[in-house]
Amino acid sequence: MSIIKHKKSSDLYLSDKPPLTSLGKVFLALSYVILIAWAFAIIWPLAQMVLSSFNGNQGKAISMAGTYVFSLDNFRYLFEETYFFSWVKNTIIIALASALVTLLIVSFTGYAYSRYRFSGRKASLMTIMLIQSIPTFAGITAYYTMHNIFSSVLPFFSREALLVLIYAGGGIASNTLILKNYIDSVSTELDDAARIDGCSNMQVYRLIIMPIARPMLAIIGLWSFIGPFMDYMLPKILLTNPQSYTLATGLFTLINDVRTMNQPAFAAGGLLTAIPIIILFISLQGQLVSGLAQGSVKG
Amino acid sequence: MDVRLKNIGKKYEGREEFTIRHINLDIHSQEFCAILGPSGCGKSTLLRMIAGLNSITEGELVFGDKLMNKVAAKDRDIAMVFQSYALYPHMTVYDNMAFSLKMRKESKEVIHQRVLEAAKLLQIEEYLYSRPSDISGGQRQRVALGRAMVRKPSVFLMDEPLSNLDAKLREHMRVELVRLHKRLGTTTIYVTHDQTEAMTMADQIVLLNKGIIQQAGAPSELYHRPANVFVAGFIGTPAMNLIPGKIVQGQYISDNQLIKLHPSPDDAQKLKAHEGEEVLLGVRGERLSQGLAEANNFQLTVDVVEMLGKEQILYCELADHTELVVSAPGHLEFKSGQNYDFHIQSDALHFFNKASGERIN
Repeated sequence: MSIIKHKKSSDLYLSDKPPLTSLGKVFLALSYVILIAWAFAIIWPLAQMVLSSFNGNQGKAISMAGTYVFSLDNFRYLFEETYFFSWVKNTIIIALASALVTLLIVSFTGYAYSRYRFSGRKASLMTIMLIQSIPTFAGITAYYTMHNIFSSVLPFFSREALLVLIYAGGGIASNTLILKNYIDSVSTELDDAARIDGCSNMQVYRLIIMPIARPMLAIIGLWSFIGPFMDYMLPKILLTNPQSYTLATGLFTLINDVRTMNQPAFAAGGLLTAIPIIILFISLQGQLVSGLAQGSVKG
Repeated sequence: MDVRLKNIGKKYEGREEFTIRHINLDIHSQEFCAILGPSGCGKSTLLRMIAGLNSITEGELVFGDKLMNKVAAKDRDIAMVFQSYALYPHMTVYDNMAFSLKMRKESKEVIHQRVLEAAKLLQIEEYLYSRPSDISGGQRQRVALGRAMVRKPSVFLMDEPLSNLDAKLREHMRVELVRLHKRLGTTTIYVTHDQTEAMTMADQIVLLNKGIIQQAGAPSELYHRPANVFVAGFIGTPAMNLIPGKIVQGQYISDNQLIKLHPSPDDAQKLKAHEGEEVLLGVRGERLSQGLAEANNFQLTVDVVEMLGKEQILYCELADHTELVVSAPGHLEFKSGQNYDFHIQSDALHFFNKASGERIN
């Protein structure tokens, strides 16, 4: 009796599965080691960044040597000595515009590809997907030419507007496919019912399909919004004036140029950059979770 | 409103053949018409054409005296109940029911009054402000009905509305639908593959197969005078027994020589023209009675007994193992493997032309 009890307590159970064998336990330990190492690799630099952004006892470079002096000097430098606020403003404008343009176009194309049968439906989707596999950067000369042509006709077509178009255009094909698949899972009987209830095609889209697809739209919107925050290369090439830089590009000047070098300020800027994205994440949380769950469970 | 279909046909784009064709049908005002058929027979296509969700390739669809072929679904003054209910998941029950009226720009008071009226009739007042995902299947079914009702349409279309419910609830809703139809008096077209639903609810059944109307008429007509072998086999459970045979000297003799029957005088008259021809004899299980009569007797070996309570289904065999299904009252006793005498009443015989499948008598 006591032996059985002893055995039971030494067994290791994962959820509702049979107890682990000794090999299983080794693997379990191994996966914990890997996961912890991985988490450390991610969290350590972030922690460094947060710590050093509040450390006033540093030179031009991030260093953990010396005593830690809590101060907001790095933030002060960022706000007073750099174009930080215009970078934030530029980034948010570009990010919002990209997200809106993406959502507008993708919601139309996703709906059309899901609900309508037209010749070239599959072929066109495949073509866009294939073209998309060419990296955005390969088209850089084309972008320059396009910008020259557009801006000669439309003077207000700025480099920023071009950037928005590139970001939005880049995401259309894959997002269309994602949204199409999501809308495919919505029964077409809903469309039929709405049509009998008196909806035009546009009203079916606006009043029925879009509200139902909202979780997926939230995800697509969020992705498109985050994109410009992460991208360094395109703004660096397309935007000429440091004042018109986006956050990633602007902050980069703090670590790659000897004249403007200030790594602790870069850390502070990185920390602040996370704020708008975190706010957006939290405010969309409800939508995102239901969207992800539905997408995974519902075929 | 009367609904008339004149020579209606549908060919989907990219297909060689018509899905359904030559459909002629009169559905009278206030009638409950069931379109019945096996899956893939084109019944849903027909309903969707009447609804205006699919275009009509040929023929005329007339509501009252107005041609409807080119009229948009929303202007046909119809309401439809779908198999999946098709409730808008992002709206409350109330909004679901109010939606069509809102689209028609009715005033708020009218909408409120109509929704409450329908909700009361269907007993769904308690969860008017719940989401469709929070209520049960039966309740969703009622909401779907309510959504159709608030419009006060002149034609109700229903596409297998009960097939997602469990058996008990389905029986219950069947009665409620009939009651509702009596009360509202709206012309109703009801698509189903379930013959019990069609038989119990409809004033008129239209039996479709392979895109062709096999027979249209009252339920009793389809049951008692099936127009062809398909109708005979489709309507009724257990299915009608069909035994191949020949007419010899005014008498029916089965191919295996085991059943010899004297038809009734009326039938004999009609069979005269078919002397010597191959025919199919149709007889329903409940018209085979145990015991010997003056004529039309034969012996059956009971193979399997299915006891249903009020009746029992006997799966029997003739001496040459031809299967026959008998439906006998539940109180009689039958033992598997034993032989019993049976007879057929002469007025219970259906004769079909073997080649064409058409009814003879």
